[in-house]
Amino acid sequence: MSLSKRFLAELVGTFILVFFGPGAAAITLMIAKGSSPPNPFNIGIGALGGLGDWFAIGMAFALAISAVIYSIGRISGAHINPAVTIALWATKRFPSNEVAPYIVAQLIGASLGSILFFACVGIEAATVGGLGATAPFPGISYGQAILAEAIGTFLLMFVIMGVAVDQRAPPGFAGLVIGLTVGGIIVTIGNITGSSLNPARTFGPYLGDSLVGINLWQYFPIYIIGPIVGAVLAAFLYDYLAKE
Amino acid sequence: MKCYICAKEGKEMDAVAICIVCGMGVCMDHLVREEMEVWKGDYPFPSKKLKKTIPRIVCQICYSAYKED
Repeated sequence: MSLSKRFLAELVGTFILVFFGPGAAAITLMIAKGSSPPNPFNIGIGALGGLGDWFAIGMAFALAISAVIYSIGRISGAHINPAVTIALWATKRFPSNEVAPYIVAQLIGASLGSILFFACVGIEAATVGGLGATAPFPGISYGQAILAEAIGTFLLMFVIMGVAVDQRAPPGFAGLVIGLTVGGIIVTIGNITGSSLNPARTFGPYLGDSLVGINLWQYFPIYIIGPIVGAVLAAFLYDYLAKE
Repeated sequence: MKCYICAKEGKEMDAVAICIVCGMGVCMDHLVREEMEVWKGDYPFPSKKLKKTIPRIVCQICYSAYKED
């Protein structure tokens, strides 16, 4: 498969992820607008059904990720996440010269996902829903946010290694298991950092928000450092554990 | 082993292959040999078409059934 086709597949896959995942978070905030959050830690997500709001958002991510893995998994590998691409490269499973094109495709796809979500919903998607952007919640420090993102992405990559990369894994389950894993992680980490686990997933909404004057870029390093550190550690640890 | 199709026609001919689908023994006249593309890889790795193909031998009956699609 040519690199250009795989580039396009990664772009489309990340577009689907960002349109439907962060889109669900933005819609939740828009539905919750007007209701009174019970405490400052509750910014609106959680006003409707408590932790159930995060479960619903997590399920939107889970289904989108499963759909992408099953649809383009054989074409591009469906990384749809620079942290996953970098972890596979770090463990010598992905060629160095294809890392940059994959990440560029993921960033473009994520940006298109946010911009087209904005085009579908309107200005309140950004002003109320923030386009589903991630940011540390009140009381969460920069360091805590990086740690939470690293731990969340560690689990994601650890599962990818076990259910997909390891040749002993039973075939056919990767999409379902990885999607549900991300959904589960979001339920716990969502109200800490927004649970990005993916620099591209945060980049798209940040860029979309920038277009309407909302600047969240000061938090972007959290969503680069945390996911990449977590994913690389998980890949190396899995390799160590799985070796005879 | 004898060719099943020849035997049905009342002839006797040694089989040179076995159909991979139905297991029938077939002679050179009643087999179809095709080269199949082989793809390797699955999530999270892109699939690659291998340079070498794999030969597949089927009887004419199974071949025509597959080609109906």
